Amino acid sequence: MMNARIGRRATLLGGVAAVAAPAVLRAETDPIRIATLTPLTGAGGAYGPAMAKVAAAVVEEVNKSGGVLGRKVVLVSEDDQTNPDAGVRAARKLIDVDKVAAILGTWASSVTTAVAPLCWENKTFLCTVSGADTITQLPHQGYLVRTQPNTVLQITRTGGFLVGLGARKIFTLVPQTPFAKSSIEIMEGVARKAGGSHAGLIYDDKKTTYRTEVDQALRFAPDAILCAGYTPDTIVLLKDLYRAGYKGKIIGQAYAINRKLIEQVGQNEVVEGVYTYAPSVAEGSNALERVKKMSGLASPDPYTSQVYDHVNMVLMAMAAAKAFNGTAIRDNIRKVTQGGGKPVDNAIDGLKAIAAAEKVDYTGASGPCDFDDKGDILDCKFRYEQIKAGKPVLVKIA
Amino acid sequence: MDLVLQAVVNGLVSGALLAVPAIGFTAMFAVLRFPNFSVSGVATLGAFAGYVAYAAGLQIVGSLSVAFVVAGTVGLFLDRVAHLPLVKQGALPAAIASIASGLVLENVVRLGFGNDMRGFDRPIARDVRFGDIRINPQQTETMGVALAIMLLVFAALAFTRVGKAMRASADNPELAALKGIRPERVAMMASFVGMGLVGVGGMLLGLDSSIDPLTGARILLSIFAAAVLGGLGSAPGAVLGAFLIGVAEELSVLVVGSPYRSAVGFFAILIVLSLRPRGLLGERAF
Repeated sequence: MMNARIGRRATLLGGVAAVAAPAVLRAETDPIRIATLTPLTGAGGAYGPAMAKVAAAVVEEVNKSGGVLGRKVVLVSEDDQTNPDAGVRAARKLIDVDKVAAILGTWASSVTTAVAPLCWENKTFLCTVSGADTITQLPHQGYLVRTQPNTVLQITRTGGFLVGLGARKIFTLVPQTPFAKSSIEIMEGVARKAGGSHAGLIYDDKKTTYRTEVDQALRFAPDAILCAGYTPDTIVLLKDLYRAGYKGKIIGQAYAINRKLIEQVGQNEVVEGVYTYAPSVAEGSNALERVKKMSGLASPDPYTSQVYDHVNMVLMAMAAAKAFNGTAIRDNIRKVTQGGGKPVDNAIDGLKAIAAAEKVDYTGASGPCDFDDKGDILDCKFRYEQIKAGKPVLVKIA
Repeated sequence: MDLVLQAVVNGLVSGALLAVPAIGFTAMFAVLRFPNFSVSGVATLGAFAGYVAYAAGLQIVGSLSVAFVVAGTVGLFLDRVAHLPLVKQGALPAAIASIASGLVLENVVRLGFGNDMRGFDRPIARDVRFGDIRINPQQTETMGVALAIMLLVFAALAFTRVGKAMRASADNPELAALKGIRPERVAMMASFVGMGLVGVGGMLLGLDSSIDPLTGARILLSIFAAAVLGGLGSAPGAVLGAFLIGVAEELSVLVVGSPYRSAVGFFAILIVLSLRPRGLLGERAF
């Protein structure tokens, strides 16, 4: 009887121990969970698949070389459909079900704006490639960084490029967007600083003709015009500028003045000599070579390069913290990306150095990856091209 | 001053293009007695039909004919199947149904052609200058085509049996029926010709810029405003309204900036409906 009672207690204890022990063991070897939330479909569908592919390749490489402090990394990939609703649904699933420490690669500004509050409220870290100024102005408590230059950086550098080409009277034509007013104000500052003058107007991107807007612009007699719209409206605008006989310089975003635009306009002299600008990947860097290999792309786009950097930074930040959640990333990401230390361009080298208690400074495929307090990158290179005979020709990377 | 003059010239050009679908819209209202908002989808369809025809090697006039026939046929079909059965319940149910069928058409086009912008493969020419005023040779050509179509429509309304029957039916359906005019046939004619004109208008606007599935949706408000301004049901009113809206939209760019351009249409509708609900020229069909 007695024996049986002890036996039962022992069984009970043993059972509890048996259940508890793996839990203690599990806590030490739990995989690290992170996610990509990229546009696999929709307007960003041209970029999302390559972004997700490169992120997966980095994770695979890290796992092969022993993981992060002995832990395996699990990467979950979701599609934001370039749509804020779908983005929020996917982010909810990633945060509530998959319990990821970080979400990487949101592309459209509208998606990032919708997903960001979910992230900071659940202490999940968010790395984005969206450009709108307003994103880093959100009250994100540090749970957000972006590798894409914001409007201030983009327009300042583009204005500097135009001034360098000798432009002194600059006119900005920009559609009604979150960056419309700031684009005009920033370009105004750049032109004045160079001793020139500036004027601008915000247009309605749904018009079928911009004759009157072009007339207004040409009255200013500009020697350079910034067309800061998207592909559809820029097509109409460039045609109307050509019809009006404008012969000065024109510059626009490379994502707007692209192959599709040239094809659509259908007449090379309309786009002849037009300049484009885009944040540049770190041409010639070892990191970019790795992105080329991982993505299979001969010239990876900026977003794919940026997501490569996201994965590397996040994994190193967690290793530096010896903790594996969003807050750990928030508190340590700048410790591994800036402020000097051993220069690294991939997580494997970085993780080894961190394990050896070395300070690292990451420079990636998209550039230096140094962030200010709001989460904006401090600097990045831009790629300027000029269209000649219907083909973009590299002018410079600066 | 020359800036204002140039804006007026630009407005006259876009007004001429707007007038063609506005005549179609108002003619359908005159006979069928409901505002047919599916013109947005039909204009898009016409533009794409014309685009395909033009790409296949037809010239402008040939492509416009294709746009007319395709848009007219589909418009007639939609009226028969979706809109007219509802008119008996009042103009509003039919108008709501027409919004829906416009959306359906828009998405059918999207399914077939995708969301991309497409341009008619026409050479882009530099403007001709008259002093400080610029006019583009192609736009003059497009405007000429639009004016020719308008003349044709007015001649048909004035001198042909069908035109006279349509006017009679619009004026007083019961009396027209007593005179042996078959309202059924006139209604079909109005649907076909009205929607055909809308399709032609969609292609004309596309010639001037580019086309995508939203081409028609973008001009819907302007078409409606032009028709209301001139007097719903009056073809000359639609032309007058189209020119006024075209000029007002361009002038508004100088005063309030182009993001507020679409307010011009709403504002015109608001003013006309509160001060002169019959519109500038009243409701005479001709």
